[in-house]
Amino acid sequence: MSVTEYDAIILGAGVAGLTAGAFLAARGFKVALVTSGEPPACLSTGCIDVCSRDHNPLLGINGLPPEHPFHLLPENTIRESLNNFQATMTDMGLPYTGTAEANRLVLSALGTFKTSCLVPSTMKAAPQDTKDSIHIITFAGLKDFYPSYIISRRPNTKFSVYDAGVSSTMGIASHFEEKEFLESFITWLKGQKIREDKIAFPAVLGLESADEIVQTIATGVGKPVFEIPTIPPSMPGRRLFNALKDYFRKKGGDIYWEWPVIGVEKSGKIIEAVMTASKGRPNSLNGKAFILASGSFVGGGLTAGRDSITENIFNLHVHAPGPRETWFENDYFSFNHGIGRAGIKVDSSLRPTGSPWENIFVCGGILADTEILKNGCGHGLALATAHAAAKSCMEYIR
Amino acid sequence: MIKTDVIIIGGGATGCGIARDLALRGIPHCLIEKGDFAAGATGACHGLLHSGGRYVVTDPIAAKECYDENLILRRIGEKCVEQTGGLFVRLPGDSKRFRELFLRGCEDVGIPTEVISSTKALDLVPNLNPELEEAIKVPDCSIDPFRLCMLNIRTSQLRDGLIFTRHKVTEIVKSHGRCIGIKATDQATGEVREIRGNIIVNAAGAWANMIASLAGCEVPMTLAKGSLVITNHRLTNMVINRLRPPSDGDIIVPNEAVCLAGTTSLAVENPDKIGIESTEVDTIIGEAGRMIPHFNHTRIIRAFSGVRPLLKSKKMDSHEISRGFQIIDHGNGMYSIAGGKLTTFRLMAEKMVDTIMAAFKLKRACETAEIPLDGQEELSGYPLSKRLADMKDVVCECELVSRKEVERIINQTGTRNVGDIQHRTRLGMGPCQGGFCTFRALGIMNDMSVISPEQSMEMLRGFLQRRFRGIRYALWGDQLREEQLVEYIYLGILAMEKPQ
Repeated sequence: MSVTEYDAIILGAGVAGLTAGAFLAARGFKVALVTSGEPPACLSTGCIDVCSRDHNPLLGINGLPPEHPFHLLPENTIRESLNNFQATMTDMGLPYTGTAEANRLVLSALGTFKTSCLVPSTMKAAPQDTKDSIHIITFAGLKDFYPSYIISRRPNTKFSVYDAGVSSTMGIASHFEEKEFLESFITWLKGQKIREDKIAFPAVLGLESADEIVQTIATGVGKPVFEIPTIPPSMPGRRLFNALKDYFRKKGGDIYWEWPVIGVEKSGKIIEAVMTASKGRPNSLNGKAFILASGSFVGGGLTAGRDSITENIFNLHVHAPGPRETWFENDYFSFNHGIGRAGIKVDSSLRPTGSPWENIFVCGGILADTEILKNGCGHGLALATAHAAAKSCMEYIR
Repeated sequence: MIKTDVIIIGGGATGCGIARDLALRGIPHCLIEKGDFAAGATGACHGLLHSGGRYVVTDPIAAKECYDENLILRRIGEKCVEQTGGLFVRLPGDSKRFRELFLRGCEDVGIPTEVISSTKALDLVPNLNPELEEAIKVPDCSIDPFRLCMLNIRTSQLRDGLIFTRHKVTEIVKSHGRCIGIKATDQATGEVREIRGNIIVNAAGAWANMIASLAGCEVPMTLAKGSLVITNHRLTNMVINRLRPPSDGDIIVPNEAVCLAGTTSLAVENPDKIGIESTEVDTIIGEAGRMIPHFNHTRIIRAFSGVRPLLKSKKMDSHEISRGFQIIDHGNGMYSIAGGKLTTFRLMAEKMVDTIMAAFKLKRACETAEIPLDGQEELSGYPLSKRLADMKDVVCECELVSRKEVERIINQTGTRNVGDIQHRTRLGMGPCQGGFCTFRALGIMNDMSVISPEQSMEMLRGFLQRRFRGIRYALWGDQLREEQLVEYIYLGILAMEKPQ
């Protein structure tokens, strides 16, 4: 068995894990990040939702129920995490628009508005009300985008179809990275003589140069251009993941990709190492501290059995809403399913409450009482709790 | 106004069977169904073509009918019947006395049986509980109830039968005390259609008493809800029954790529208000797990329940009520046909149409047992080879349904209901239960202008709500994980709001 020593070991490669890892690596700690695969962040809209319950997300947080994990964090930690994120993303060529004081609206592929706080610059020009007329450009054969849903809400919408020669989200996005393709596309677009106020695209405008591609098209046709996030595969989610991953590596962090954790070594009140299964032999990754950012059910941090819910790495106690009947309500659209409250309860240092281990810190979607859909607080909560967990971890290591 | 000879109310197996029989005997008829075909008990059962074994001890007459019909359906409907064979397995502790009664009963009725050792049984079905004592082989089969209805209706359509699905009967028109017609409302447009006929056949299954009451009549029935679960895998290639008196969770039936297991039996009052209890799901999994231990760890993709329209009886446990059927002459031009089971639907139709022929004083013998079902080649589904060839334009990844196939169904049926596409292609029947593909199917329907943008949005909402009714009871493990993703997509990424 090979043994490698680290200061901190991060479990999970989502927004929370990569952010916490980069925070520590940037401060000179030796950090490893272990993941069993791509995180659900790749499937997300890439938008940073902080709290959608008020126009001002910070005020919205004040109105959340007392058990919500946001209340464990000082307001300046939340601000700081958002500011750091924006600076980092600008640095990585994936600028974000918005401030912590005001939510923005993002037009969804159903024509509804999604409320978010920081949004990718490619969604900046999205209408903020129903007045602007929109012309949608969609692509032949693209099976996850149908302008009709948007037209049902915004009758002053027109659409045109472009044949990109490929029909997958990823295929079209990589074509947009080619200069010749982009030029001939802009020529075609000019020929459409679009009269509407703004031009909308499903989010397929490039892999890493989306910001530049959107600006080139907007300048070319002389109209504001914006992207509409699509259902997975989602390019904005992938861009966000790639940028966070590249930043973590740039700061010197190691990533153990597709290395699921198969065991834990402990001694007294300390977790000493996690055992991982690689393609060859088992590996032991020793760490002074561990940050659990393995996500909720979709991410694989939690598993629901027929009778109980378990945490998959350290077998921490999971706060559950009650027996199985209470996990879901009958109304699909209730936004109040009990399962949204399942997760790990933590104290203000982000240590799991009631756990014997003093060197585990928890952040992101695996936390209890988040009710992410109801409160509109996904990636924003991940960023802020990752900061707080990384700070506590840093103090502990020192 | 439409005029015909016989009006059939109900598009389950019985109603569709009556339409076919009338068509073959040259009687003009019209069938009205409030949903799609097989929307009631027909589509909410195991899809088991009984050998009769299940009833030999408790109800030998029903058992005999089942076996005779089993032979007939295997002959006339080979494309919708899979000749899997079935096993009755005896587990440690199961009564030996019941085994003797079972074997004697099968012999009396004429159902062929073969007692096989546990080793032989495990050869046939490796997933069986290795502790089984022995098994008895019987000619059970798996049948596709929806396809069965479609094939019966096909004959009627080829011979000018009029078929109205998604039309709800709201009134029985009477004149001088006789039923002379019906009024039915188109569920999509609200348009009311009036149809006149000489005889009305009430084949509304669990809703038969509601229909009868429109004509001031009564059909005494006991409604027994039965719940079932569907697995993500085909755990057995044979039908598996427990060798004991009929009770909860004693049958597992393979169907295409999945298995269905059930059932439970609980008396209910209103067939439109049935839910599933978590305990029912746990009971079925526990009992099915006794026969096939793997069942305890297999992903359940959905649970559903149907209502058996049983004849009223003094017996308290609905498992014991006869599965026999009855034709009620209300004496005013309306007949009700109640009870029975999927396996005997053809026989029920034959007896019903014999009664109608007698009332019309016509003589023409029933031919439904001899003539193979029409259109089997064309309606034999959407074979895997074809699904694979259409892969590049696939709309439903779970069941490999292509855009072309969806468009073909829309063009062929003119449907404006996404459920009709699901029934005919298996779109949305896989593990994600339509979470991804329904959004696409409705988008395609909109592209083809069969529905408006507003309708596509409304239908998507309705679909998600209905879908959740089925999967809500199977949410743990991977199914919960997938459901959380689907919820995140619709309520998060797509920002669907709470309907007003």
